[in-house]
Amino acid sequence: MSLTRLLVRRHRMTLGAWLLMLIGLCAGTVPSYQNTYDTEQQRRGVVELAQNNPATTLLYGRLPDPGTPAQMFAWELGAIVTILAAVMAVLLTVSVTRAAEDDGTLELLRGCGVAPRRPLRSALALLAGLAVVLALGCGAAVGLATGHVDAVTWAGAMAFGTTIGLTFLLVSALTAVLAQIAATGGQARALGFVAVGAAFALRAFGDVKRVDPLAWSSPLGLRAAIEPFTADRWWASAPALLVAVALAVLAEVLSGRREFGAGLVTRRAARDSRLRLRTPVGLAARLGRSSLLAWTVGVAAIGTLFSTMGSAAVKQSRSGDLGGFLESQLGTGDPAAAYLAYSDTVIGIVVCAYAVLSVLASRRSEVDGVTDLVLATGVRRWLPLAAQVLVTAAVSAAVLVATGALGALITPVAIEGDDIAARAFAYAVGQWPAAVATAGCAALLIGISPRLAPLAWLPLGASALLALLGNLLDVPQRVQDLGFFRHMPDVAGPDPRFGAPLVLIGLGVALSLAGIVATTRRDIATG
Amino acid sequence: MTEPAVDIEGLVKRFGAFAAVDGLDLSVAPGTVHGFLGPNGAGKSTTIRVLLGLYRATAGRVRVLGLDPATHAAEATRRISYVPGEVRLWSTLTGQEVLDALAALRGRRNAAAEQRLVNDFALDTRRRVGTYSKGNRQKVALIAAFAAPTDLLVLDEPTSGLDPLMEELFQRCVREAAAAGRTVLLSSHILAEVEKLCETVTIIKDGRLVESGRLADMRYLAASTITARPPGGQADAVTDRLRSLGVEVERDGARLRLSVPRPLVPAVLGVLSDVESDDITCTPAKLEDLFLRHYAVAAR
Repeated sequence: MSLTRLLVRRHRMTLGAWLLMLIGLCAGTVPSYQNTYDTEQQRRGVVELAQNNPATTLLYGRLPDPGTPAQMFAWELGAIVTILAAVMAVLLTVSVTRAAEDDGTLELLRGCGVAPRRPLRSALALLAGLAVVLALGCGAAVGLATGHVDAVTWAGAMAFGTTIGLTFLLVSALTAVLAQIAATGGQARALGFVAVGAAFALRAFGDVKRVDPLAWSSPLGLRAAIEPFTADRWWASAPALLVAVALAVLAEVLSGRREFGAGLVTRRAARDSRLRLRTPVGLAARLGRSSLLAWTVGVAAIGTLFSTMGSAAVKQSRSGDLGGFLESQLGTGDPAAAYLAYSDTVIGIVVCAYAVLSVLASRRSEVDGVTDLVLATGVRRWLPLAAQVLVTAAVSAAVLVATGALGALITPVAIEGDDIAARAFAYAVGQWPAAVATAGCAALLIGISPRLAPLAWLPLGASALLALLGNLLDVPQRVQDLGFFRHMPDVAGPDPRFGAPLVLIGLGVALSLAGIVATTRRDIATG
Repeated sequence: MTEPAVDIEGLVKRFGAFAAVDGLDLSVAPGTVHGFLGPNGAGKSTTIRVLLGLYRATAGRVRVLGLDPATHAAEATRRISYVPGEVRLWSTLTGQEVLDALAALRGRRNAAAEQRLVNDFALDTRRRVGTYSKGNRQKVALIAAFAAPTDLLVLDEPTSGLDPLMEELFQRCVREAAAAGRTVLLSSHILAEVEKLCETVTIIKDGRLVESGRLADMRYLAASTITARPPGGQADAVTDRLRSLGVEVERDGARLRLSVPRPLVPAVLGVLSDVESDDITCTPAKLEDLFLRHYAVAAR
């Protein structure tokens, strides 16, 4: 028990941030589903379309009859929260299991008389506890809207919360198994994300092809099995719970069969290769090589898939029948252009997340002491951070150009409209200024003090919130414009405006320079 | 070149209210091996990080190879090899790739020396650094440091994690570096190592200088330890004679234990052999005694 408490103490900021975000997202969006549709007839029309729409079905699953506001919420926001819960599960599970082995802290505990099996058990106990908190928290957040939003009931809300908690539990248990197999913590994280992607694909395929067992068998398809606000089928949570327990037991068994600090899969440790570089930029590029590959393939593939799914949404929007989240995204104007702008904004958010992670890598090198070694070879004080920012900007550009190019090739086949290829490319590349600005924020914070670095997520989080939920939450346009996203010029339109992107790039460059100057005025930090 | 390779006067480094280094002087003559001693938290690593320009001095004058590291860190460190106490490297690169990277960033390299050191230290450079033990990571940093064509080696407890054979090799490398005219600043806890390698030492505690100078002179200050067992009945007489010489006498039953300044050693031994004492031992002072004495004094 004390080990679990230690884990909570060590990760309390991360745990708190995730719980707050997911529960806050549920609480903040429920009320908006009440006023989305003015008349019953309008709502019926939207529901029927949504039920027969492959795009929204692929994204969110199938909308159950009769499509009450509560069901709409569970269908749409439920899909988003479920995916976030799965991502949270992968990240947290790895950081409380394998990551602690990789950084050596678990070794210390094991040397203090902690039994070999206890660390994993404590981690699983923590994750189970989190699942319960998540279930109760999300359930309560939605349940409080009872009486304010049509068809929201406490029973349904708790069933909804249970699906979120169970999704988290299932993905956690699955990741715990993967963490026993993978060679390192980083590999376990990657495998976990692949598993979440596969779960999404399984759910999407099952829903689109109407093969219910397939959809239900996915950890992300629990809403279809439990049906909160429709059937509130509590017993349907039992199989998921059993699977989670079985996976946890499997993780335990596997952990007994592997070496401490190594997975069941080992990787080739030796290779003959030399490094040819001249500058810290070359070094940063070499160190970022594998992530460049992963991000390019991932973002280009998912982004293009996302764009091509828009055909139905575009058609619906043309006939004026779109509603809810998607309508808030597309607004008025050319529907095809609006859909592309929306899907590329999502891509922009993902690439900005890469930018933050990438710039934060220079902080980790500094705290680890690697930067000491680099500076001791006669490298100028400001160069390591500058090199990292430069490489981040370049990789972001490469990822966006690749995504835009693939989108320009494939999207015109799926979506009808004017200048689809040009827009698909330009809107993707148009996210680059946001990435530069985000990287600049991170660089400035690291420049001032590595301790401030985690705050770099704030501008990105706020901008993403404004871009995705700004309209739904009725945030004034003036405030929405302060976000980093939705500023890409419509190159195919009559009057493309380049002012905002230039401001963003200027901001990014200025913040980066300020951060780089600031590093030269402070001590190098050590861990 | 008579200018010191490292010249520190009145260095103060404060972190908030805490003074990690408080008015330290340190001077290292070029071409010498200088020991830098002190207990944990004495401020050795902080001083070294100021020397490298990683920390900015709160006060004091610092010159490394004639340059101020606060303003010319890159120019100075280009001519410095540094090995930290705990070596962290890029875990995805191989040992060879790390050596390539460090040499490339410095812009100067002695590939032949590097290859020889890789062989001497028996390091498998084809393996990823992530699979290395602490000792192997240390070897990578040591190889890079000794192989680089630099004038000053700053070694911060560099042998923690090395096995005795490798320590031997390390000592050889330090001697070769000194013979080649390079200056070595060796921060260490291993007194035997410092005794073997260093001509001059600086001892610090709580960020302040305790003692600095040539090792030979310091040993002179410390006393040899002599023990003996005079024949029964003569112990009191012997004790009186020794006290008249100005020697402190400690009695443990029939056994005498004396702390004797070096010039008095022959006279004391003469007195002891006059009365045909048994079991006479004479142990010359070790750096360890000096070390312990300083710490004990400072701890009071």
